Amino acid sequence: MSEYQVLNSRAPRLDGPVKATGRAKYTDDISMPGMLYAGILQSPLAHAKILHIDTSKAKKLPGVKAIITAKDVGLIKYGVSPARYDETLFAFDRVRYVGDEIAAVAAVDQATVQEALSLIKVDYEEIPAVFDMFEAMKEGAPQLHAEFPGNLNAEVHQEFGDTEAALQGCDLVVDHTFLNKRQDAAFIEPQSCVAVFDLDGKLTLHTSTQVPHYVMRTVAMVLQIPVGNVRVVKPYVGGGFGPKCEANPMEMSCGFLARQTGRPVKMTYSREQVFLHSRARHQFYAEMSLGVKKDGTMVALKNKAILDGGAYTSFGIATVYYSGSLLGGPYKLQAMKYDGIRVYTNKPACGAQRGHGGVAHRAAFEQLLDMTSEKLGMDPVEFRLKNMMVTGDMTINELDMSSLGMKECIQAVRDGSDWSNKKGKLPKGKGIGVACGFFVSGAGYPIYRSDTYHSTVVIKVSEDGGIVNVLTGSAEIGQGSDTTMAMIAAETLGIPLANVRVTSGDTDLSVDLGAYSSRQTLMTGHATKEAAEQVRSRIVGYLAEAMGCDPSSISFKNGNVLFDGGPGNFEQIRSSYIKEHRGWTDPPTGDYLTFREAARIAYLKGGTLVGTGKYKPPRLGGSYKGAAVGTSPAYGCSAQVVEVTVDLETGEITVDKMTDAHDCGLAINRTLVEGQMQGSLSMGLGECLFEEVKFDSRGRILNASLGEYRIPTALDMPNVKSIIVESHEPNGPYGAKEVGEGAIMPTIPAILNAIYDATGVRVTELPVSSERLFMGIKPKK
Amino acid sequence: MLLPKFEYHEPTTLEEALQLLSELGGNAKVLAGGTDLLVKMKLKVDQPKHVISIARVPGLDSIVPRNGHAITIGAGVSAASLACHEKIRDRFTPLALAASRLGAPMIRNRATIGGNLVNGRPAADLSPACMVLNARFRLKSASAEREISANEFFRGPGDTAIEPHELMVSIYAETPPPWSGGSYIKLGARKTLEISMVNVAVLLTLKAPDGPIAEARIALGSVAPTPVRAYAAEEFLVGKTPSDELFQQAGEIGVGLCSPITDHRGTMEYRCMMIEVLTKRALKQALERAKVWQP
Amino acid sequence: MKTIIQLTVNGQPTEAAVDSNTTLLQFLREDLGLTGTKHGCGLGDCGACTVILDGKPVNSCLVLAVQARGREVITIEGLEEDGRLHSIQQAFVEKGAIQCGFCSPGMILSAKALLDENPKPTEVDIRTAISGNLCRCTGYQKIVEAIQEVSSTLQGTEVS
Repeated sequence: MSEYQVLNSRAPRLDGPVKATGRAKYTDDISMPGMLYAGILQSPLAHAKILHIDTSKAKKLPGVKAIITAKDVGLIKYGVSPARYDETLFAFDRVRYVGDEIAAVAAVDQATVQEALSLIKVDYEEIPAVFDMFEAMKEGAPQLHAEFPGNLNAEVHQEFGDTEAALQGCDLVVDHTFLNKRQDAAFIEPQSCVAVFDLDGKLTLHTSTQVPHYVMRTVAMVLQIPVGNVRVVKPYVGGGFGPKCEANPMEMSCGFLARQTGRPVKMTYSREQVFLHSRARHQFYAEMSLGVKKDGTMVALKNKAILDGGAYTSFGIATVYYSGSLLGGPYKLQAMKYDGIRVYTNKPACGAQRGHGGVAHRAAFEQLLDMTSEKLGMDPVEFRLKNMMVTGDMTINELDMSSLGMKECIQAVRDGSDWSNKKGKLPKGKGIGVACGFFVSGAGYPIYRSDTYHSTVVIKVSEDGGIVNVLTGSAEIGQGSDTTMAMIAAETLGIPLANVRVTSGDTDLSVDLGAYSSRQTLMTGHATKEAAEQVRSRIVGYLAEAMGCDPSSISFKNGNVLFDGGPGNFEQIRSSYIKEHRGWTDPPTGDYLTFREAARIAYLKGGTLVGTGKYKPPRLGGSYKGAAVGTSPAYGCSAQVVEVTVDLETGEITVDKMTDAHDCGLAINRTLVEGQMQGSLSMGLGECLFEEVKFDSRGRILNASLGEYRIPTALDMPNVKSIIVESHEPNGPYGAKEVGEGAIMPTIPAILNAIYDATGVRVTELPVSSERLFMGIKPKK
Repeated sequence: MLLPKFEYHEPTTLEEALQLLSELGGNAKVLAGGTDLLVKMKLKVDQPKHVISIARVPGLDSIVPRNGHAITIGAGVSAASLACHEKIRDRFTPLALAASRLGAPMIRNRATIGGNLVNGRPAADLSPACMVLNARFRLKSASAEREISANEFFRGPGDTAIEPHELMVSIYAETPPPWSGGSYIKLGARKTLEISMVNVAVLLTLKAPDGPIAEARIALGSVAPTPVRAYAAEEFLVGKTPSDELFQQAGEIGVGLCSPITDHRGTMEYRCMMIEVLTKRALKQALERAKVWQP
Repeated sequence: MKTIIQLTVNGQPTEAAVDSNTTLLQFLREDLGLTGTKHGCGLGDCGACTVILDGKPVNSCLVLAVQARGREVITIEGLEEDGRLHSIQQAFVEKGAIQCGFCSPGMILSAKALLDENPKPTEVDIRTAISGNLCRCTGYQKIVEAIQEVSSTLQGTEVS
């Protein structure tokens, strides 16, 4: 049995009932008196000069309340990383992709908005565009940004040890190249926001975001209002997976339009606009070489990356660093070299998506491991185990594996999948594959350089002592962070989960950097725990005083107060509590003083009972350029075994079985952990087999719909044998760390390795459509 | 996504519907399940001034067996109804299978056989199935009525023999003879919610359970501007004893009758090779069913 | 020009004036305020807008409000009884079948339509029945388990 009362259980999530009944309000469900609707005019051309914008006709349309262009909102540069602010809200002299924003309209209804948008006349002068990242790097290619010649958005060059020398000393060097495709996060809820300005010039922005804090800062900057006058409120969010990690043009447009009209303004992206806004997974080209000794010892890795960034930077600087830094583990290396570049092209900007920057290169690398183990004549599991890091190891690029159950994970999937009886023993057309991966448990540094806390939490106890309210700016986006925080608070206070409420997603409540880089369980969790400890110690202090006992004798369990482990003499407190609450139907009963009565004492003595908590990681990582990206207080890790059937006549792939083991430290909530694991695998399966955003020759997306951009259905996804491996993470609250992103890392390569096992074909380009695989199989027939 | 404005008509008799069609003709579109038309209208591909719903026209949604020799299917019958109708599954198997692979459950509950056919999409699921059943489509207008074979109905992508003032009212097919079996195979990326990259419908009739092939019908979808009957492959099969090699050869002949395109769903080369494989497989599946035919 | 329609929504007779180009989804969300029905794509691709129309699950984004005249519509709001969760809703909550929740109303209604027609579905039946309801969060496993859980209690009831 668990040592915990609340943690490590399968408590149903707090928001389950409101979501199951349709009562949960998402942004587009909000309606306000006098609310206007808004829409954005987007460029139909991939690359063009804007000669003239004429809004006069649209302005005359009855029902139109405001139209804004760059002339009205100015040209304040913004973006994700202050080092690369390269966007303005509206294009002024140039559009750089099909979808680039030009103007926004607010009107009385959606039909009027659409008509007004069609009446805005823009004169363009089309100029040559470039859509392919390799073409974009060539001399003479069309240039997107004058400040970044050669379309070179960012470059990274890192080396640890002498890689060339190390490779020369190896018995075997294996090379591999790999190309994935641009993806879409395909969350089911399109972005939506409602902006409201009050008469004092304060903006409240209700928006479907993962990061209320960053949206608040960016919107304040672009609208030029004090940050304290912007409140961002996140209603329920229908999935994010990365692209909702930054302020978007809709939020800023609605802010301007609401200010101009004095009325609430709502905008919701169409599904096509979700694709046009993108900010999802980049296309990566990977080129790598791995050097090993005859005995299977890994020695050196050379890794090159080219990223197709699209027209703007978004998260791209971090992305191009991650593609290198996240290969530092979980295997021991003596030397590693990384060269990465991110290139501008005339397509929607790419950003962060689940497993940020790491997924494609992890896929390439884990394939390379299988190729190498085959050449060595070693079992792929044994090869990995031989080189695996363990708790306490430091990667060559100075990432501290303060806990690492990677070995336990790979052993668990080996045994759980019956690997030994299957590997090399399956009939042709059937295959089994393995892969590993890890991911940060919260980025070590904020996106803007700052000494800010990454998370603060306020816990406020109701005056009767009965309900504990966790107030946090963190973002519940479906992953279950509200439930996680409630469980941490309940455990720390020794009270039942039912006595905890969570109010979250509001920048007025606390500082929290938001739901990205799998950070909230660890970081918001720490702040929640600290706030709860403060509440507890305040109660203990006042209670000890009231009882005349030693504070150290007091403990809390299941909502009861124990004195030296026993009930103690609390009659006086109880009778006065009952007197105070005469007529109430739920007087405290039982043999023990309740938390409620104890918290009431604290209130009576000290006023509203509040505790605060805060967290920021210590200084992490090395001192080389870019050392910050990839740092984290902790790393989660995962191993997966996938079994596939390939139809050798058509190339069709069926994923039959998946076995996944993930080390998430202490599993705060076992059901939620499994949910993250299974969801990650499903997304990985889609990216591996189906998903690709396709463009025509003029840069228009061919498949900007959920019919033609294919994510897995219930018939495509098999059941996953989900094994939770629990190491103790010293830097995590109660030993907890991430699960939401590390779990996607092994999925693609495990499938690819299984396909190789089934067919003998090494697929080097995603997605593995039936056609791509069939064309690979065919010459071998 | 907003629908453009239109005038809505909801006739309650067939005569009324045909009258409206004859008056509004080219300015009107018939709304059945709406799973294609409303999508096209939202995407502004189609912006009819008038929309005539046939949902309340009686009789269009019924399936009427004709003394065991044939069946008449109302044009308004949903794909879901086709897929689970015992008689259609049993005797008109390609149609039931094709209907079960159309879209996803919610789409199948709305999409109608008539709508799927008059759309004339080269990748449509039900067209090849109707073709191998030698189905006949009954088209009515206010002033006339005619029947046309499924094999003559499709003219090009989105183009069929139906006139703007005509309504497809029913689909008629004769029950295949004893020792017949049918199949339908669809190749897409996902297991469901797919538009065919290639689809194949087959109806195979044996002279006896172990006998040679009496008749074969093969129709291929998404391989040409219209679904096509592979007549040459069919003729090749007649009189021969079924075998894997024979079916393979039929598939090879089938490829020669198609002219698939390369688009973002698949290349011409791959489609050609899949025509061969899927034809062979569809024939094999049809054969298995034909062998166990029950009176 | 508006048309007056009468229909039953969640058991309640309802009368309203609607434009011909108003979809059932818009009518439910905007006119009736039943925002539990979600708009995910507008083209019948995702299933977030699933409602039960005369016993069958349909994409309400591809049905005109006027087409629902005289028909019976059940939305997610119509499943609770006396403030208590429907057994499918309860199972979704308990089994962890809900994450972001945006697909959940449609998913639950597809599950209800399935179990109403077939109380003892196989796993493939279940997966087929929800195959038009896209979920990006869960990988579907816990959704399938929740539906199986409800089905097992239905079987239990039948036996006893």
